[in-house]
Amino acid sequence: MGEKTAKWIFWFGTLSSLVLFLALTVDTQGQFAALTHADRLDDQVVAGKRVFERRNCNDCHTILGFGGYYAPDLTRAWSRLGSDAIQRRLEKPEVVFADSYRKMPQQHLAAQEVADLVAYLAWVDGIENHDWPPQDSVNRWKRSTERALASATLSPAAALMQQENCLSCHGLADRGERKGPRLEWIGMRRSVAWIADYLADPAKVAPGAEMPAYGHLSAGQREMLGEFIVALASGHGR
Amino acid sequence: MTQKSQSIAYPYFVMALLLFGLQVVMGLWLAANYFLTVPQGVVDVFPFATARAMHTNLLVLWLLLGFMGATFYLVPEETGTDLAYPKMAIAQLVLLSATGVVALVGFFFGWTQGRPLLEIPRPLDFLVVIGALMFLFNIAVTMFRAKRWTAVQGSLLGGLVFLALMYLFGIPFYKNLAMDWYYWWWVIHLWVEGAFELIAAAMTAFMLIKLTGVERKVVEKWLYVELGLFLFTGIVGTGHHYYWLGAPAYWLWLGGIFSALEPLPIMLMLVDTWRDIKARKEPMRPRLTWVYLIGMVVIHFVGAGLFGFAHTLPQINYYTHGSQVTVSHGHLAFFGAYVLLNLTFFYFAIPRLKGFAGARYDERSGQAGFWLMSLGVLGMSLAFAVAGVLQTYLERIQGQPYMLAQQPIRFWMLVAFAHGLLVVAGVIVTIRHLLTLKPAPPEATAVAP
Repeated sequence: MGEKTAKWIFWFGTLSSLVLFLALTVDTQGQFAALTHADRLDDQVVAGKRVFERRNCNDCHTILGFGGYYAPDLTRAWSRLGSDAIQRRLEKPEVVFADSYRKMPQQHLAAQEVADLVAYLAWVDGIENHDWPPQDSVNRWKRSTERALASATLSPAAALMQQENCLSCHGLADRGERKGPRLEWIGMRRSVAWIADYLADPAKVAPGAEMPAYGHLSAGQREMLGEFIVALASGHGR
Repeated sequence: MTQKSQSIAYPYFVMALLLFGLQVVMGLWLAANYFLTVPQGVVDVFPFATARAMHTNLLVLWLLLGFMGATFYLVPEETGTDLAYPKMAIAQLVLLSATGVVALVGFFFGWTQGRPLLEIPRPLDFLVVIGALMFLFNIAVTMFRAKRWTAVQGSLLGGLVFLALMYLFGIPFYKNLAMDWYYWWWVIHLWVEGAFELIAAAMTAFMLIKLTGVERKVVEKWLYVELGLFLFTGIVGTGHHYYWLGAPAYWLWLGGIFSALEPLPIMLMLVDTWRDIKARKEPMRPRLTWVYLIGMVVIHFVGAGLFGFAHTLPQINYYTHGSQVTVSHGHLAFFGAYVLLNLTFFYFAIPRLKGFAGARYDERSGQAGFWLMSLGVLGMSLAFAVAGVLQTYLERIQGQPYMLAQQPIRFWMLVAFAHGLLVVAGVIVTIRHLLTLKPAPPEATAVAP
């Protein structure tokens, strides 16, 4: 190979890749508005992003998979935890993570900053990114939850859940609200006894929790709900 | 050394080495955060996030100062003229070092732009830009005045201009997070897999010409091919970061294909170096410089090429993205590609700057430094890799909540920490050795006529 060929490889390689890259960048720019639902990107969301940057959240947490790897990914935090649980973590990390082997700094955020951050995470949650991350994939939740529900639709626990209106705050597969954590996620982390105990008086187990107490249910009923929630999680990842 | 003004490189090397030391100490603290429970009181004052900002910014700063010092050594020798404005080069070092120190202290007090790796606050960004402009102006004027162009110089200048241009994309505030990350990668990816590679290829080619005595025409011909392949695969290869950030689906296959080719230019660099060494006209002395040179091209290939390839395909990356797998690749790649590049250049340039006979130096403790660092970083990267595979399986595939899945990873972070101790020891030995480099004992130099 002569010097001329070598130079030709250099110029062809560089310019062809550059032209392709710039053309795709123009196209991607055009598609971002739809893929990220930019119509929902209001002033509060932008204010939330500014708080997120000012407090350097991204050097512990990842978001869209980028950042520090020291704390959970926040891409789907809003679906996973719900706004109340996010708010509690931001306001009182020293209480929420009191027993955890890894802590989150108390940032002394103003109420407005907390609300802005929640709005920001809710917007991020809607970004269409080919269903990443896998652990929060709605498609996977749906598959595993459908299986669990198929065998349990007629069960007393499912009926109880309907009666008590759990899904008016909690997420389940692609249903329910995003005020409290999604039920499958609770099932992954907690035991039957813990859930039964929590239902009796949430504020006792987690001070500051906004969930109402379900003390009117019998111990047996609460345990049944616990079993149901734990069973929801068992199929996840298959 | 052929020109007097090349000596400006030395203070740059010294500053770079001191920051390097600080960087690895901060790394130890980060690893400790993973397996220890740091109490709330400490976390409130000095969170992991702050330490990480320091660790990564120190790396970027010292690598850039190393590249700049190397440029100030290389350009006068290539052009055969003195640097256009030697005093400006010193002022630039003072400006950039001061900016760096202010940024680090600022991080501690929460003054940050809050975007990973680009934490330097915007007002300081402008000082960085001024420093970069001083640098480019100085180098460009020197080259244009001399009018003696070589491929090595062209590649170096191209890489440096490319680097400075891309930095600008990291400065604005982006309202849309997806767009933010899209351009964030223009800084991060197009630096490490674009501009930095041009600089690395130029510095390596320069050292090969000087060390092996192989004809410049041969080295420069292959340099063109390397650069063409680096840019062909690297530019569209940016797409491997666009899989999951809300960009269109075509990035999945374009990013996958182009980035799967990214190991090729690195392999070519390895083969070129090997061929030049076999065709060498000079003896391989001092031995340590050669150990560094070969270590660099090999670990560059393994860390950047192989470890990168391992998780670059979208089918795999869906599960590994944003896990400790990235950390594993990041550490070995940066070490092999750029840390060893700078250190190789320091070992090449410092004996020449100091005017040692035959550029021979007393290399004893330097050998220990190299092996402690290299084996330490390798062990560390393997520990991160185990942690990453565990995380991928437990969190991403089984679907365990993050903190549950982190529990078994803590042990592997302790293993990473233990290897980190080797790294810190190696870095201290190396810095000491480089800063107090002595001529080779007389019996060794007597061999040379």
